[in-house]
Amino acid sequence: MKLEDAKILIGDDSILARKQLKDVLTTFGGQNFFEAANGQEAIDKYIAEKPDVVFLDIVMPEKDGIFAVSEICKIDPDAYIIIVSSVGTQSQLKNAIEAGAKDFIQKPLHSEQIKAVLSAKFEGR
Amino acid sequence: MYTQFFGNFLLSRGVITAEQLIEAIHEESKAHMKLGTLAIHAGYMTASEAENILIMQTHEDKRFGELAIQGGYMTKEQVDQLVKMQKPDYLLLGQILIDKGYLTMNEFENLIVDYQSENEIYDLDMVDEKKETVTEMLRNYCNFDNHPDAEKAIDYLYLLFNNLVRFIGEDFTALNPIPCPEYPTNYCICQKTHGENFSVTSAIDIDMNAAIAFASRYVHEEFDDFDEYVKASLEDFLNLHNGLYNVNLSNDFSLELSLDPPVVHHCDVLTLSKGAYLFPVVYPFGTVNFLFSFS
Repeated sequence: MKLEDAKILIGDDSILARKQLKDVLTTFGGQNFFEAANGQEAIDKYIAEKPDVVFLDIVMPEKDGIFAVSEICKIDPDAYIIIVSSVGTQSQLKNAIEAGAKDFIQKPLHSEQIKAVLSAKFEGR
Repeated sequence: MYTQFFGNFLLSRGVITAEQLIEAIHEESKAHMKLGTLAIHAGYMTASEAENILIMQTHEDKRFGELAIQGGYMTKEQVDQLVKMQKPDYLLLGQILIDKGYLTMNEFENLIVDYQSENEIYDLDMVDEKKETVTEMLRNYCNFDNHPDAEKAIDYLYLLFNNLVRFIGEDFTALNPIPCPEYPTNYCICQKTHGENFSVTSAIDIDMNAAIAFASRYVHEEFDDFDEYVKASLEDFLNLHNGLYNVNLSNDFSLELSLDPPVVHHCDVLTLSKGAYLFPVVYPFGTVNFLFSFS
């Protein structure tokens, strides 16, 4: 699959973080974006849109990112979720992977990291 | 970080005004030669290698030279050689103040001796700031004597000032901390970090114009209005800083803390614990007030 054809869900309570990630993904060809400002909204958007890839922050109001990962993975065990967080501790990484996340990117974002993460899932990256 | 505290030292001695200091710091930061630039110039690293190190620095609380050695880009000898070529920034700041006629050569000579002896900086030409020396300076600056979590508080400040250098710019002066159990807010972002026996409440308070300038530097984009992106930049900075602090606590003290989402306070009174402090940080674009309490 190409990123150009992928539905991309970005869950972050920061409008700035969502925009920055969207800008980077757009430079790699991404064009079909959905956004969520908290964990619950991310779960709802996942059910409604069935995105091909999900980027989720951990620290969010309502429900946090780790909760959202486990809920989404209950609905769809094949969900492709990447955690994007400033709290890159070993235990958070472990929690994210155990909940079902496929990868972990530590903030602040750098395009090379995102490129590397996407190469595992998308063609031509 | 000697320069950022040297400015506060000069102010506390009453030898220059805040305006004169800000003017000199602004020029000093333009004249400062970074290690990465020297490494590229010496042919030890390519621009993209230096860029990689700068990216790593945003994730790891380590100095450029340290990461360059760790990554195999330079030997320790090469780093030492480049460090010797850098001018100590506080001497540069003093030179600018003399050139502008704000200090005489004699005054500066006496001040530098006092500053170095107060902070136990023994080598006049030392630019290679040791973490221990900076930490000691922070101890003098904060005077957290008898605070049960003094060491963690010092680590928090050390990281905060480093993050300001990394993400906003080094042209700031950290003014003396003020005990502050209650604070009347302008536009204030507050975030709690908590664990079993330890918690930190931190906040950043700023006026609108300073917020626009702060966000423009942080995001590397020009903002004109106090809009949602500017507000989000402040939250993002605090959240990023606290996230990195959690990583440090986890690595250094095996402490796992949780971070709450940032909360906005606007023109209200923020009530903190008894041991709360206000740390004003003066940039040429305005003052950024940091508050935090440990419990």
